This record gives sequence, structure tokens and C-alpha cells, in this order.
Amino acid sequence: MAELDPTIHICDDWIHIGLPDRKMVPAVQTTLTAGEQWTEIVPGLDSIAVQFDPALISPDDAAESLRDRLAGKPPKLKYSENIVVIPVCYEDNLAPDMKYVAEKLGIPPVSVPSWHTAQTHRVAMLGFMPGFAYLESSEEIADIGRLASPRQLVKAGSIGIIGRQSCIYSFDSPGGWPIIGRTPLRLFDPAKPRPALLSAGDTVRFESISRHAFDRLQQGQQQQ
Amino acid sequence: MEILNAGLQTTLQGAPFTGHRHLGMPAAGAADCLSLALANFLVGKPQGAVAVEIALTKAAFGFRAPCSIGVVGPAEYIRINGQDRPRHETLTLAAGDTLDIGPGRPGCRTYLALSADLEADSLLGGQSTYLAAGLGGFHGRALRDGDIIPLSRPALPQNVAGSTPSGLRPHYSDDHVLRITPGPEAGKASDEILKNLCLRAYSVGARASRMGIALEGALLRRGQSSDMPSAAVFPGTIQLPPSGQPYLLGPDAQTTGGYPRIAQVIRADRHLIGQLGPGSRIQFVETTTERATDIYREKLALLSSWLGQIKLW
Repeated sequence: MAELDPTIHICDDWIHIGLPDRKMVPAVQTTLTAGEQWTEIVPGLDSIAVQFDPALISPDDAAESLRDRLAGKPPKLKYSENIVVIPVCYEDNLAPDMKYVAEKLGIPPVSVPSWHTAQTHRVAMLGFMPGFAYLESSEEIADIGRLASPRQLVKAGSIGIIGRQSCIYSFDSPGGWPIIGRTPLRLFDPAKPRPALLSAGDTVRFESISRHAFDRLQQGQQQQ
Repeated sequence: MEILNAGLQTTLQGAPFTGHRHLGMPAAGAADCLSLALANFLVGKPQGAVAVEIALTKAAFGFRAPCSIGVVGPAEYIRINGQDRPRHETLTLAAGDTLDIGPGRPGCRTYLALSADLEADSLLGGQSTYLAAGLGGFHGRALRDGDIIPLSRPALPQNVAGSTPSGLRPHYSDDHVLRITPGPEAGKASDEILKNLCLRAYSVGARASRMGIALEGALLRRGQSSDMPSAAVFPGTIQLPPSGQPYLLGPDAQTTGGYPRIAQVIRADRHLIGQLGPGSRIQFVETTTERATDIYREKLALLSSWLGQIKLW
């Protein structure tokens, strides 16, 4: 088991906790959630930041209590057992960069869906927009790279891939990741008790659906 | 309340969203929380109550019911039915009155607080507008000419403040001093990079929004590669993209980023980011986290003599 030994850096009213192993992020996040003085606990890819109110606790005291909390017990490198299956339509205008990605991968476009659904992904973190998920594939994948010029509009639910890292857009927004499909699921619904569909550490599997099923599911989402 | 002239970017803003950054939900909320608190106090509202944030240009509003208002910010003028009225005072409007608010120069954002409650979309415990995702506020967007915002509880408030003490009225200017502490990626070269950041004033370029501000001035160079694994950022974080042009994050900034975080504007000064407009100049000054906490607590103590217990964000 790797030593936890985090790097701690105080920035005014938040503290950066650098971790020696990315796999520690979810476990450390869980450890910290139990504390009550943090107004935000934000995971990054290999770090976590906590924010506090400096009127209530001084930065040094905050850092001290953080060290206490993290001392002694290297967290278990355990991922959440939450497995989320995400239906994706890989067809036509829902997958505008299918050809580009297939070419980079060296496989025919028609094979990309089965190639993609065979992988397991882990949610590395959320960011960019509410519910926007950064995923990491279980497979080694050649570098695909971003589009030469970003799109002004990427539709919500679009699946972007730049190699081992992929993402799911949660809102209509600009974006530069090549798009190979779209899910009808809503990634962020503030009215729900758990507004984000995915959390850091979750396991994600994709499931190919037809355009007809996509339209039906999307209608169902809107009626909720 | 009818929007007669929405101006460049007028949104409903109050307290920020908190506790949801791990889901990718930014703070949003008033860019200048101090001016918001002062305006709300004039109409007997809590500091984070949702109000109208008017950026840069003039705006006009029509009232269909009587209402008290407080206007705080750099607006050049306040006129009720064409008559000049003072900032920082509780003003009373009758049904049918028109309110004109002048452009916010020097500075950027003016806050219009109302005694009545503005109807706004609620989510995650807040009502502020987050423009990029179209959430909160008035249908998640900036106000447009002709919009009508329903007001509830329109009764005129009792025992309201009257007038902000002169010593607590913010001085709106195009020259700002923002104090910073070193960021996690200021790194070993921090002395050099922060010294250069603090050497000469930067100015606010054309790329300025509630999300962030591209700073124009001396380019900063780092020895190491400028790529890093994405990590948390906050309003007031200064990032250093490969261009070498520092980028100061605002209230709508995304929650994580992949550029080195070289500095953090201290909480006590962060409300000033809301008053940075095109052409504003910023002198950064490095301080320590201990000193930053003292400054913050001193500022709160000063403000509490008028506003009661508040916090800045």
C-alpha cells in the first residue's frame, strides 16, 4: 500500500492536497466528507481541494486538522461500487466525429460502437460544467487529440473522446472533444436529491441504442 | 417589475451556490458581494437575497406596484421619473414609476435591491443566475427588454436603514490593488513568477466576463511544462495558460482547470473582482495566508458595525 503522504499547500481560504496516487482520490474524498468545517471538497485528477471560512478557522488550524484527519491510515484504494450503464446512440448526426475518431483508431466507423461498449470507464472527476464527467478507460487507447478548432455548440449528452480520456457533456456548450455519440440521459438535474447522474469514482459502461430508442428515452426524460 | 432597458448584461444574483463544486456547479452569485450586501441592507433584506446585477451599461425598470429600493454601485446616476436621486439611500417608488440607472463607470457592476421579493428559479439552495448552464435567476438567462419579473410581498418595509454611512461606501475606481497568496503551482520558481506578477500593473482586456478576465501586461514564463492534471480552481484563482497571459477567475469560473494556479486573490479583496471592467488596472500585491486572514477578519469587523454579522465570498 502506498504511503498517503500528501502535499499540502494553503491558498488563502482553500487548501490543495496533492496525492501520490490518483487512485487515492475517492478514498480521501470520503474521509474528508465526514469533517464539517469544509464548505467545499473538490476532487481533481490527482488532488483534492478543500475550502473553509477563514472567519471561523485560521488557515494554519485548518491545515493542522486536515493533517490529523489524513494521518496514520493510508486510505483503501477502493473505487465506488456504483456501476452506471449509459445508453448511447452512435448514429449519424449524434456522432459528428465518428469518421475522424475511427481513422485515428485505425478501425472502420461501424466498429467503433462495439469497441467503445466493450470498455469499462471510471469517473475521474466532474468539472467544466455541472455534472460534466471526465472518464478514464480501462484500456490503453492511442492519442486521438482534440478538434483543431472547438465547436461553438456541443449538445448535452454528447460523448467526447481524446484517447484514454473521454467525457460526457452535461449541457449544451462549446467544446473541442471529438464526438462519437450521444446519451439521452440528463447528466445534471438540480431538482433531484442527487443532482449529478455520476460521481467521481463511479464505474461507467456504455450500451449502444438505436436512434428510435434514443428519441423515446429523451422524450421520457423531458416528461419527468 | 418590467425591464424597459436591459442593458448589456443584467442578471438576478444573490448568494453563491455552495457545497456543490465537486459536482461541477460553480459559485455564480453577485460578482461584488459587498455592494450587494450594502444594497440589500437598505431594503431590510439579508445580505445574500437575490437582487438585480447591472454590468457596465445603463438600464431602466418600470414598477407596477409601490416598492422600496436601494442602489449601490458605480452607476453614474439614479433617476426616478427623470429626477436625480442618491445612491446608498433607501428610495421609495410608487406604482407607475420609472427607474433609470446610469452606466457603471469607473467600475463595472451596480446592484438594485428591492424590498419586494423578485421571483427567481430556485436550485441547490440558491436563486442566483448561472448563465453558462442556463440555471437559476430569471429562466437562467440575462434579462431582456420587455421581460416582466413578478414581485411578491410588495409591501413597503418598516424600519429600514436609510443611508449607508459615508465611511462604508465603497470607492469605485479603475485602479485596484488586489492582494494575493501563492498558488499550488507557483512552485519553486514562485519568488520569480509572483515577483513579476506584482512588478507592474495589469489591465483588463476585452476577454472579460463573469467567468474570468484575461489580464494584459507583462507575459509570465514558467520553467516547467504548463500542463498539469486538472485540479480544483476557485473564484479569484489566477491561472497561467501557455500564452503566458495570466487569467483571473470570476464567480462563474468552472470548478476545475488544467492550467497552473499561480496565485489566489485573498477573500477580503475578492469582491473587487466584480468591479473590474474594460480598462481597469490591477496592481497585485503578495501577502501571506496569516495576514490575509487578519485582513479578512478586520474587514468583517468594520462592516459588522453597520451590516451586522456578514461574510464575504
